[in-house]
Amino acid sequence: MSAEHKKPRYMLVWGGLALLTAIEVGTAFVVRSALSGFGISEDTMTMLIIVILIGLAIWKAMLVALYFMHLKWETRALKWLAAAPLLPATIMIVVVLMEYV
Amino acid sequence: MATTTAGPTGIPVREEHHPQSFIRKYIFSTDHKIIGIQFLFTTLFFLLVGGLLAVMLRFQLGFPGEALPGGSMLPETMAPGGIILPEFYNSLVTMHGTFMVFFAIMPLLVGVYANYLIPMQIGTHDMAFPTLNMASYWLFLVSGLIMLASFWMVGGASGAGWTQYAPLSATPEASGVYNGQILWCISIAIFGFSSLLGSINYITTVINQRAPGMTWLRLPLVIWALFITAILGLLAVPVLTAAVIMLMFDQTIGTTFFLPTDGGQPLLWQHLFWFFGHPEVYILILPAMGFVSEIISNGSRKPVFGYKSMVFAIMAIAFLGFIVWGHHMFQSGMNPALGMSFMITTLIIAVPSAIKVFNWMATMWGGAIKFTTPMLFAVGFVMLFTIGGLSGIFMASTPVDIYIHDTYFIVAHIHYVLFGGSLFAIFGAIYYWFPKMFGRMINETAGKIHFALTFVLFNLVFFPMHGLGMEGMMRRIYDTSRYTHLAEVQDTNTMITWAALGLFASGLYFMLLFFWSLFRGKPAGVNPWDATTLEWSLPSPPKHGNWEEIPTVYHGPYEYSHPDVEKDWLLQNERPDVVSPAHEVTVRQGEA
Amino acid sequence: MATHSAQAARFEQTSFAVGDKKLGMWVFLASEVMFFTGLIGSYIILRWGASSSWPAPNEVLNVPITAANTFLLICSSVAMVKAFAAIEEGNQKGLKLWLLATIVMGASFVGVQAYEYIELVHHGFTPASGLYGSTFYAMTGFHGFHVTMGVLCMIWVLGKAMRGHYTQENHQGVEVIGLYWHFVDLVWILLFTIVYLI
Repeated sequence: MSAEHKKPRYMLVWGGLALLTAIEVGTAFVVRSALSGFGISEDTMTMLIIVILIGLAIWKAMLVALYFMHLKWETRALKWLAAAPLLPATIMIVVVLMEYV
Repeated sequence: MATTTAGPTGIPVREEHHPQSFIRKYIFSTDHKIIGIQFLFTTLFFLLVGGLLAVMLRFQLGFPGEALPGGSMLPETMAPGGIILPEFYNSLVTMHGTFMVFFAIMPLLVGVYANYLIPMQIGTHDMAFPTLNMASYWLFLVSGLIMLASFWMVGGASGAGWTQYAPLSATPEASGVYNGQILWCISIAIFGFSSLLGSINYITTVINQRAPGMTWLRLPLVIWALFITAILGLLAVPVLTAAVIMLMFDQTIGTTFFLPTDGGQPLLWQHLFWFFGHPEVYILILPAMGFVSEIISNGSRKPVFGYKSMVFAIMAIAFLGFIVWGHHMFQSGMNPALGMSFMITTLIIAVPSAIKVFNWMATMWGGAIKFTTPMLFAVGFVMLFTIGGLSGIFMASTPVDIYIHDTYFIVAHIHYVLFGGSLFAIFGAIYYWFPKMFGRMINETAGKIHFALTFVLFNLVFFPMHGLGMEGMMRRIYDTSRYTHLAEVQDTNTMITWAALGLFASGLYFMLLFFWSLFRGKPAGVNPWDATTLEWSLPSPPKHGNWEEIPTVYHGPYEYSHPDVEKDWLLQNERPDVVSPAHEVTVRQGEA
Repeated sequence: MATHSAQAARFEQTSFAVGDKKLGMWVFLASEVMFFTGLIGSYIILRWGASSSWPAPNEVLNVPITAANTFLLICSSVAMVKAFAAIEEGNQKGLKLWLLATIVMGASFVGVQAYEYIELVHHGFTPASGLYGSTFYAMTGFHGFHVTMGVLCMIWVLGKAMRGHYTQENHQGVEVIGLYWHFVDLVWILLFTIVYLI
């Protein structure tokens, strides 16, 4: 049924996910106090942390999608199907956020 | 249950299945055709309900303050002495829209015809998930009954408009509607689930179960339309489901999503609702356009002009449909910069719709036109949808919309596209596929009378509303006499009400004709319209499982007047050289 | 039940190359993305546009426990993937054990969430606690509901596995419930970050 492919190293992915989770929690708590001595403004710090956290979360989500959900080895059509709802989702959130810009 | 084994050609063959009880065969059926017919009967009932609600609200507008005939049957809380109260009027307006959009038009287009046609037109036995399909119907019925039940609640049915704007919809103390409002939300949430199951089925089946030779560009336009519509539903309806649940929480468990008291945003409701609402209106028109392509091609004895551009137009309409929702909110106080962007995208979306209109006209041009009842409704669709589309151009322009938003100009537009458009196409489809569904014809003369009455009365009811709107008559108002600037519109409103009564009567006439034809219609053959798509190769009505052996498809769906064939049509599973052996097969330009 | 190759032989070629059930599940998941977008998107919008700032998550919520819970859910995803890998090799015992592990971990996740809810309510943080309460309970509540449904379906799948229903050639059901389970995990990964860390 599935394409011929090397069986993915699930435990490796699991390790990656665990590590990323730890980094995330660390970022949320530790980084702020660690960086506070460098004279970076509150707002910039918050922005930076948010960007890092979202980035890490997306990275984890991609690992789950590509390896656990097997997308990496699926056809392009299926990849597009999986990615498709992200466009209207992003549009909705971004456009409505413009109400507060 | 039937089983499939490989026949001598390797293509699966259906074996005889064990006889099923009446209940399994007709009530809890998993056969897509039965489910489609179940949807048909149920939605015709809800169409009647929606029409009745319209007549009642029109009565108040035509004869304000007078007692509705038979109104004394209504409870005192709704219409004391038969005179409709303002709160009840709001419910009538709300529920008319709700029933028509969710429980009549949408399921008539999708629940009936996606279910009935998809497996047959693509050449397979049934849907990919027959049991989920059955669940989809029963969930729909339950949601409709819940919506109906809301009338009997203390405080009556919801009166917040079918668009349910917060904070009115979220504040029972203000609207006076308690359980009725909650039931509205629950009903729509269940409806959303039903719609989702349908979409999953339609998308999976069209992708995976097309017969050999049925490439994407040989699919009938009905299938393209229903497929793209299913994708729209898949992506838009869940947002409504989320919003409606949030609304219900606001009413019941003390959340404040849309209530300003603790930072809640009423405008968020509008954005969520219309983010769904706009793709929804394309759900309400695309299948209708599919039916019209089919019927016009058949009635003109010519292939659809510009098949590929029709497909791209459907896709363009669907895609653009996700980025125009703000045009419902020009007057809402949203960020003005959004007003400009939404205006531009809304004007652009007129283009693919126009392409379709021109293609229909080009299809008819030079054709050997037969004005059967379905053809009359299809051509009527083109005319009336065009008018509705033109009024849409006015509304797309933000500065113009500032004046006509929430007036009867909008009501005119809505009804030209939903009634003149969708419902006309639905009537056409009902007449067209009736013989396949029930093995009988609806009498042509009787059908033409239905068309004539509907066409004339429809325009009498809705065309004047353009003028009413421009004079400043607002939507959803109870009594125009309370506004000095509307002193002169009462006569028009009364005339419209009389015409609306006539329109309702012609709807009743159609229902009677429909049911009469079920039992006494002339028996229909396999292909009474000399049509080309695969369902017309099957008996009328087709057996459970449709085909013994899956057919092979040899060409596109609109091979009318093929140069090498004597008769002026060719079924998709007929080869021209087999049908007319003496001639060489000509491959036509652009044929897939 | 036709396998994919038999299916491909009798129908027109499709560029997706997946069986009905798997395709159907991916289509369903597309709609679930939109559902969660409605909820999570509303949270983002309401918080970004809030006139006053909301309390920091760790002032109200128990972040350490939930971080551990997040890890538990990720582990359950691994268990699911191992279950699938097992049946791909025809390992019936592995399938059943790993499915059971997934169920136990998934149910524990829900249990911990329920415990957190009870604690929060005791401390006066309910859905009626302003916008923060509204959005928190709506998002995590619906996610928890999805996990619960997943656990129930998984139990049903385990039941079928116990009866030897799945084979090396034919185990679409396992793959399909796996996709759903990973999706639920994926949503939580995003939710945890957005709700508990930011």
